[in-house]
Amino acid sequence: MLGWLRIVASRIWGLLSPKHTDEDFTQELESHLEMLAQENLRRGMAPEEARRVARVRLGGLTQINERHREMRTLPLLETVVQDVRYRLRALRKSPGFTSVAVLTLALGIGANTAIFTLVHAVLLKPLPVAHPEQLYNLGDDQNCCSLGGSQDSFTLFSYPLYKEIRDHTPEFSEIAAFRSHVPKLSGRRSSSDAYGEPFRTQFVSGNYFSMLGVGAFAGRTLTPTDDEPGAPTLAVMSYRTWQVRFSGEPSVLGRQMILGREPVTVVGIAAPRFFGERLDGDPAELWIPLNSEPRLMPIGSHLNETDDYWLYAIGRLRRGVSALQAQSHLKSEIQHWIAARPNRSGYKPEELEEMVLTLTPASGGIQSLQVDYAAPLRFLTVVSAFVLLIACANIANLLLARGTASRGEIAVRVALGASRARLVQQVVTESVLLALAGGAAGVSLAFLGTRVILLLAFRGSEYVPIEASPSMPVLLFTFMLSLATGVIFGIAPAWAGSLAQPAETLRGAGRSTTDHSRVPQKALLVLQAALSLILLVGAGLATEGLRNLEKQRFGFLTAGRLVVQVGSDFGGYAPERLPSLYQELQERLAAIPGVQSASLSRYSPMEGSNWGDPISIAGHPAPPGKVFSSSLDSVSAHYFETIGTRLVHGRYIDARDTPTSPHVAVISEAFARKYFPNEESLGQHFGIGDASHSGDYEIVGIVEDAKYIAAREAAHATAFLPLLQARENNSNIFHDIQLLVAGSPQNLEPMIRRTLANVDSNLTVLRVIRFDEQVAENFNSERLVARLTTLYGLLALVLACVGLYGVAAYTVTRRTSEIGIRMALGAPRRDILAMVLRVAMAPVALGLLVGLPLALAGNRAIASELYGVKSYDAFVLGTAVLVLIASSIVAALIPARRAARVDPMAALRYE
Amino acid sequence: MGEEKPGILQGTLDLMVLKTLETMGPLHGYGIARRIEQISEDALQLNQGTVYPSLTRLLQKKWISAEWGTSENNRKAKFYSITKAGRKQLEQEARSWERISGVIGRVLKTEASGE
Repeated sequence: MLGWLRIVASRIWGLLSPKHTDEDFTQELESHLEMLAQENLRRGMAPEEARRVARVRLGGLTQINERHREMRTLPLLETVVQDVRYRLRALRKSPGFTSVAVLTLALGIGANTAIFTLVHAVLLKPLPVAHPEQLYNLGDDQNCCSLGGSQDSFTLFSYPLYKEIRDHTPEFSEIAAFRSHVPKLSGRRSSSDAYGEPFRTQFVSGNYFSMLGVGAFAGRTLTPTDDEPGAPTLAVMSYRTWQVRFSGEPSVLGRQMILGREPVTVVGIAAPRFFGERLDGDPAELWIPLNSEPRLMPIGSHLNETDDYWLYAIGRLRRGVSALQAQSHLKSEIQHWIAARPNRSGYKPEELEEMVLTLTPASGGIQSLQVDYAAPLRFLTVVSAFVLLIACANIANLLLARGTASRGEIAVRVALGASRARLVQQVVTESVLLALAGGAAGVSLAFLGTRVILLLAFRGSEYVPIEASPSMPVLLFTFMLSLATGVIFGIAPAWAGSLAQPAETLRGAGRSTTDHSRVPQKALLVLQAALSLILLVGAGLATEGLRNLEKQRFGFLTAGRLVVQVGSDFGGYAPERLPSLYQELQERLAAIPGVQSASLSRYSPMEGSNWGDPISIAGHPAPPGKVFSSSLDSVSAHYFETIGTRLVHGRYIDARDTPTSPHVAVISEAFARKYFPNEESLGQHFGIGDASHSGDYEIVGIVEDAKYIAAREAAHATAFLPLLQARENNSNIFHDIQLLVAGSPQNLEPMIRRTLANVDSNLTVLRVIRFDEQVAENFNSERLVARLTTLYGLLALVLACVGLYGVAAYTVTRRTSEIGIRMALGAPRRDILAMVLRVAMAPVALGLLVGLPLALAGNRAIASELYGVKSYDAFVLGTAVLVLIASSIVAALIPARRAARVDPMAALRYE
Repeated sequence: MGEEKPGILQGTLDLMVLKTLETMGPLHGYGIARRIEQISEDALQLNQGTVYPSLTRLLQKKWISAEWGTSENNRKAKFYSITKAGRKQLEQEARSWERISGVIGRVLKTEASGE
């Protein structure tokens, strides 16, 4: 084995230094010959004779030389090198062909590389932590943020439960816990700052960094002692936040920031590549021990609530332990712990019995983003592969045309004894060269493409921890893809070329009107037309799905509206202060020039948060085993007017509704339909929680249905409580401001910021966003798919048309003399035009015949994934067919008109 | 590839070249060819050129090394010498050759006596 390797190595060396060694060997033989001749002289031969005999004794010089060369180098590689040199020269000589081919390939390969960059970053790349393959998520993290009640698939932990399993599950070397979603807290860089600004803050267990194996860039990371009750509040900052928001100032280490009202000391900067336990837009900026949570988020703190399930947990499995073994132990631990709780944490006995816990590999961290993007990325991978196939078909056609043009040359070479294998090798060499050049150009296109894709996929995020510049695996992928591409589109021309019949070709070069090499060319056009149709239909359907989502009746109006997300720290406020505070705030906001109406609420529609709770209705007890529930929100006066939700009956919530006035509520039509199907709902009473609360709120109004959380579902039954009257779940604290403004809404941000700070310095603007943008961010993955499929579909269409044009133009050139004869014999120009169009459109028609059933099947397959798209969408299908036919006619018309303008006399003199 | 004269296997020539270099020390191609002819008492009339593929092969296996030098009569010539790995190989080959030739000899003898 080693000997064989040595031989190959020395042969490759021989290949690289051919000249020198060849001369060397010639000289060696020369001296051998000389010595033989000397010997012969000594034996008494005449000088002439001595040399002749010497040459006989040595053997044929040419053979020895040839044999030596063969042994010394790799013959196949040598011919490849020759071919590469020869083909490079040929490609340089036809810059037009080369640049069209390379550009086409760059588009095809670039389209694929861009998608793969994202696939790699989102689906394949592990977290930048130590041995990510040992990490397991304790659960399947499909269940975000729900607090109480049973979980279908166990994934959220309470802090006491976490401590229990952390200390009693020896299958894991360490288990760390952290909040299931990363909240934005308002913070000040130092106590002297006047305004707060948002910091995305993740609460983590003390062993979080050691479990992940992530170190500090400067200072230190957190330790379990930092996470003990009563320990001072410390923070580790992300490297990026340090660089971007603090300009990398060294003084940040050891600095005291203020988060909420709590001083927090920054003890370390995390490793530069670390972005937390999940890949997502806008990752965590600060990591703070779990035990500081009650001090930083005093309203609704979860840490000490045994039945608040709010933490995700990731563990590092010990070597040699199977995940299944750990899973079953962990499950019984959790079951025991819950069973021992007085109220069983809301689990019914049989629910606890059937509890599901699935350990999932966490080498990529928490998979919330991946769940959203896995299917779209798979779809886009297929779409981009189609584009590349069409590009391949184009180049294959170009090569075929060129091959036909150089048939004379090839025939001569075959006649002179060139082996067909060698001819095929040459064609494939050329196609691989082109593909590699296209791949290189594609990488730079992909860089731009990836940036656009990231903007689409993470609309609304300031920062995404994904590099657009190609990484090593991506470059390797592109290289392999280019090689494969080169071989794929080289096959057809190589095959056609190897069919060359030298005798036939040489007899009547270029005169025939039909020949075999046109069959693969037409087949490729058929393939292109079929693929283009499929892509166009896909693009149409995806776009229609997105449009249905965006243009649906939401039950509110977004035009001219702004939403301001506010971090409000009223931890120390008595509730009595809120009415005057809210009133002042609303008045001052409404006084900003351009603002027509201002309101406050707990949540606003489609911002991604929701509050749902069991309710009870006076006089309407729930049937046994069933629980009434409703989505809930708390809103100020003018709320519905500001967001444009219509009143159906009764009245809106208004200034009358104070903490001391009778408690009232406004319900949605869905609520009325669900709970009062056959009676008047105005005047009815309901409350949050069990029957003792059923008289808490009187229904005074009904508003139209509006979607708050799931755009694809029907609007939930929802009840709105006055902000000042609602006390359950801290819902008297507002998070959002809604503004209806005239003119350009975006310029108001500084005014809004100032107004808030003037009213109360504890009010921090976390984000100012247009209402339509807040809604649009819900459809990022749908938009990514729709836009990219459209882009790729158009790209495919253009490529297919260029291909069609090329073939048609080539046909006209080749048949010029035939056209001349036809015209000389009296064919009208109209007939010539029709003839060329017929020839060009035949493969398109065939492509439609092949592609339409496939497109129909595709339509049926993806309709359920798209909102409001029928499984047989005649409009999209028909449009795609028309677009394809129209563009094909345009592409074929150009050469057809040229054909019709042929001067018969000139054509007949041609050749 | 069958350019060697019938009767001289590729490996055999390699073995003879190695042995020659072991006993004679550094030698050029002509010297090696001559020496093999002499030893065999001119029973082996080589096309002297055939030593070169053998030399190339041995060089590639790093069993011999080569260096330009000056021959007895002041001529520039390439001198080959056996390497340490070459000596080891030679020892092995010689041993297996002896074994095989012994076996073949015995087999041939049995057949002869059987007739």
